[in-house]
Amino acid sequence: MSLASDHRPAAPEGLAIAPALPDILKAIKPRTGVTGFLRRHPTIAVGGGLLLLLILVAGLAPYLGTVDPSALSPARRTRPPSALYWFGTDMLGRDIYSRVLYGTRVSLLVGFAVAILASIGGLAIGLVAGYVRWADSIIMRMMDSLMSIPPILLAVSLMAITRGSVGNVILAITIAEIPRVSRLVRGVVLSLREQPYVDGAVAAGTRTPMIILRHILPNTLAPMTVQATYICGSAMIVEAILSFIGAGVPPNVPSWGNIMAEGRALWQVKPFIVFFPAAFLSVTVLAVNLLGDGLRDMLDPRQAKGH
Amino acid sequence: MLGYILRRTLSTIPVMAMVGLFVFSLLYIAPGDPAAVIAGDQASPEDIARIRANLGLDRPFLVQFGEWGWRTLHADLGTSIFTGLPVTQMIGQRIEPTLSLMVLTLIFAIVVSVPMGVVAAWKAGTWIDRGIMTFAVLGFSVPVFVIGYVLAYVFALQLDWFPVQGYTPITQGLGPWLGNLVLPALSLGCVYIALIARITRASMLEVLAQDYVRTAKAKGLGQKDVLFLHALKNAAVPIVTVIGIGIALLIGGAVVTESVFAIPGLGRLTVDAILRRDYPVIQGVVLLFSFVYVLVNLVIDILYTFLDPRIRY
Amino acid sequence: MDRRTFIKGVAGAGSLAMSGGLAMPALAQGAAKTLHFVPQANLANFDPIWGTQYVVRNASALVWDMLYGLDASGTPQRQMVESEEVSADGLTWTFKLRPGLKFHDGEKVLAKDVVASLTRWSARDPMGIMIKASQKELVAVDDTTFRWVLSKPFPKMKLALGKTNAPIAFIMPERIAQTDPFKQITEYVGSGPTKFLKGEWVPGAKAVFERFADYVPRSEAPSWLAGGKKMLVDRIEWVVMPDPATAAAALQNGEVDWWEQPLPDLVPLLKGNKNLNVDIGDPLGNVGSFRMNHIQPPFNNPKVRQAVLMALSQEDYMRAVAGDDEKLWKVLPGFFTPGTALYTEVGGEVLKSGKGNLEAAKKLLKESGYNNEPVVCVVAQDQPITKAQGDVTVDLLKKLGMNVDFVATDWGTVGARRALKTPPTQGGWSMFHTWHAGADCTNPAAYPAIRANGDKAWFGWPESPAVEAEVVSWFDAKDLAEEKAAIGRLNKAAVENVTYAPTGFFLSYTAWRKTVSGVTQGPLPFFWGVSKSA
Repeated sequence: MSLASDHRPAAPEGLAIAPALPDILKAIKPRTGVTGFLRRHPTIAVGGGLLLLLILVAGLAPYLGTVDPSALSPARRTRPPSALYWFGTDMLGRDIYSRVLYGTRVSLLVGFAVAILASIGGLAIGLVAGYVRWADSIIMRMMDSLMSIPPILLAVSLMAITRGSVGNVILAITIAEIPRVSRLVRGVVLSLREQPYVDGAVAAGTRTPMIILRHILPNTLAPMTVQATYICGSAMIVEAILSFIGAGVPPNVPSWGNIMAEGRALWQVKPFIVFFPAAFLSVTVLAVNLLGDGLRDMLDPRQAKGH
Repeated sequence: MLGYILRRTLSTIPVMAMVGLFVFSLLYIAPGDPAAVIAGDQASPEDIARIRANLGLDRPFLVQFGEWGWRTLHADLGTSIFTGLPVTQMIGQRIEPTLSLMVLTLIFAIVVSVPMGVVAAWKAGTWIDRGIMTFAVLGFSVPVFVIGYVLAYVFALQLDWFPVQGYTPITQGLGPWLGNLVLPALSLGCVYIALIARITRASMLEVLAQDYVRTAKAKGLGQKDVLFLHALKNAAVPIVTVIGIGIALLIGGAVVTESVFAIPGLGRLTVDAILRRDYPVIQGVVLLFSFVYVLVNLVIDILYTFLDPRIRY
Repeated sequence: MDRRTFIKGVAGAGSLAMSGGLAMPALAQGAAKTLHFVPQANLANFDPIWGTQYVVRNASALVWDMLYGLDASGTPQRQMVESEEVSADGLTWTFKLRPGLKFHDGEKVLAKDVVASLTRWSARDPMGIMIKASQKELVAVDDTTFRWVLSKPFPKMKLALGKTNAPIAFIMPERIAQTDPFKQITEYVGSGPTKFLKGEWVPGAKAVFERFADYVPRSEAPSWLAGGKKMLVDRIEWVVMPDPATAAAALQNGEVDWWEQPLPDLVPLLKGNKNLNVDIGDPLGNVGSFRMNHIQPPFNNPKVRQAVLMALSQEDYMRAVAGDDEKLWKVLPGFFTPGTALYTEVGGEVLKSGKGNLEAAKKLLKESGYNNEPVVCVVAQDQPITKAQGDVTVDLLKKLGMNVDFVATDWGTVGARRALKTPPTQGGWSMFHTWHAGADCTNPAAYPAIRANGDKAWFGWPESPAVEAEVVSWFDAKDLAEEKAAIGRLNKAAVENVTYAPTGFFLSYTAWRKTVSGVTQGPLPFFWGVSKSA
């Protein structure tokens, strides 16, 4: 018996507790093709669209009228937004517009990398725990103890012992997220093991890797995709919080968290320094969460059509 | 059932032991030398070495861990490297503000979010539902310190309804205590409201679709009775689960909120300690938070057995 | 009746208004006599000999008294000492204590307490170590008299005992002073004008000082650490605020009375508030420092160091550190505090423009034979001053065409790492930033950063016989003219050696509510003579 009892509903795990957003548009009649898909899943359309736009911004940052985001110009510091400095300049005279645009790269990188790494790590651990009986209780107890350390404290402590770098931030947040994914995967594996067709496969002499590949993996994919989007969103927020505390990506890297951390002391006098990165961060996390909601509705029709 | 409770309680022991080992080794390998911080800017390397030896930081890992573990079992968390005060005393001084903040946030979040979720489920598909759920997604898309600054600006500086910072012990009156905590609890509560409102709505939807609710309706029970009596009671399990998981979220958020509102709580103690490499304090606080988390989840698991009669052991 | 009191009166006028009225902390009764002060940093430990941070010194000056105290003119004046006598050969100092001195625990201050305190202090303080090196005996003659016998005259004795830089020679009871100087004391009993309330101390948040009723102030007017330290408030509460934005808001709202070091960028906001006074805190200011490792490549090559010095724009550094307010900073073509007797610009031509000469510096760097060795730049992010300087330096070194490895870390790690002499790529370092209080940079006596005695020098281990020779000639100087000449030559030698790179001279503001009066300028906040009206 592991710490968090197995009878708990499978869905609520960390930020993954994300019940259906209502369909903003009622599906009138099923249509085929992309348009039809997007009309049936408006949250995916809105979230995915926004996210796509941000990915474009990140990719095209150098061509969107930006300058070197780390070029200092102390003589032109804390200028308010103007035709020359669209989002103003920060305490060292750096162009906030350029920093925010380049910051998109960092936030998206952190978000996606953590989502992918935590999924892979969680999947591996969850599969082993769900499949290898003797390892289960040891692994899950380790996950329980990791999980009992609040994620932000865990990430901050991990950052304290490593050198601040984007890679280490990703790693620290990933370690904090893995237990939740592995718990989710293990839950799915345990429930599938009891399914008649898995029993049948075992009886038919199918080898374990084959069972995992054919039966287990496809079934974990859906909940994991949903989970991964929420992890992506929360990782971006945690990145900002780590920078806020002073334990995030190196300050010479323009990340939204860093821009806000540096500008927060001046929020009363120069609110624009915090405003622009905060707005970008919020919109991005919102987009990711909407996408997650949409995906969940799509992949779990029982819930979406339940009412 | 008693057997389950006992087993469940015992299962927390290895978890806590592993947290202890983890926390201790994490900080053992941490770079950064507290002795150098203490010695100040003009100290010589010999001065620093002597201070390090005096603090016992030059001994081998197992010796330090063994000693630490033994003392911890006796509720002695050691002495802060920087203040020279016992860690238990430092935690004791700061537990009230953090506890107050967390409890208030929790109460506030539940009071706001559960009705939100119930209404959203009840009016599912309408603009009310959409509005509530959009707000809920927004709630965890905006970083807590941004919410904090905006609230402080509007309600403390402009309107002057609440103080901008600080903490007043509850012994000095309920009013001042509340006054200082309203804004921090509001900012911290947003994520939580979003979370609980979503899960409440989802579990309500599921429950509302079930046969016995239909039966209740058919028996002629009023809308309100159906919603709050039958449905909510059955939706309680997932909601309580979220509260348990959310404790971790709350602790993380408290670290930030306490900085923004200058509340002398455990969150700030942790950050200060980490930035200064005050190992005994970091160990003590992380251990305490983990303990609280484990304890809350233990209580919740036991609560299930009462909340959901279908669960049997 | 003010608005808050009014709201309070109309209880039940809606819950929001209610909590608004009640939001006022319940200290109303004694409020006028409690001064709420926001210090520059957290008082994390409280042993002025063991820990030498400025914030510890500032708090200690409230609790412990000293034998002499520096006044606003920079002259050490008698404080606990009533009279002193120096033998004709300058070797024997005999001091007599003022009568009526008491510790906070009610015990009398005796000569044996002084002897124990000076013994502990002289194990840690740079000037104390110099005295100790020639000490023959330090003894209590009777309850109020003690004697210090040296083998070599030490004319700057009174300065050593009354200086403002940490560690200050504070006097503690013998039982406390007997603590190992490398161990922290746990009892905070002094004979100063206020008692430290240990029970109310919450490190990281709050420290409380209560007026000591039995303190006997001198009759002279207070001036810095000298004169009558009369307390006009009953309680001083230090409130630590990790977030400058919060501190500004609290001061505007009247929740605190005095903020030691407001962020320069927030000063316009505070100046615009009619309830607040804002002024320069310490006219002696600070000297910014960018320190290179003289024993490891590339900075073991003097030409590389000179190229960096040539390129650096003090204006950029100062704007980054102190903001756009040009009253707050100036270009410093040297190492000594502007506005003090020994200030000099001799030999500082390369820094005078304040803008740097990037092209010439690039040429010099090329000539130096710099071979793209990595420059490991360790920057503490938790100190705004080192963080801002670090950002400017990285930009500068990149422009100069150097191979920069930026290590963002915290002050504790910098403190540990800078002590390592290994190559930068093996855990060592190439450069770090700090700053020195202007009060410490008035002369070489307590200014280790200016010394260039190689292995024994401060971190970076500069070695320059020319610099060292001039330090000796300053100590030996007979009059001010000789001192000035020695400091001029010292300045020139230190610029050539680039002992460290000064990044400019900067001041900081201090801000207080108009209800508070008696705030004076100085190297530390002085609470004596400060009063507060309702």
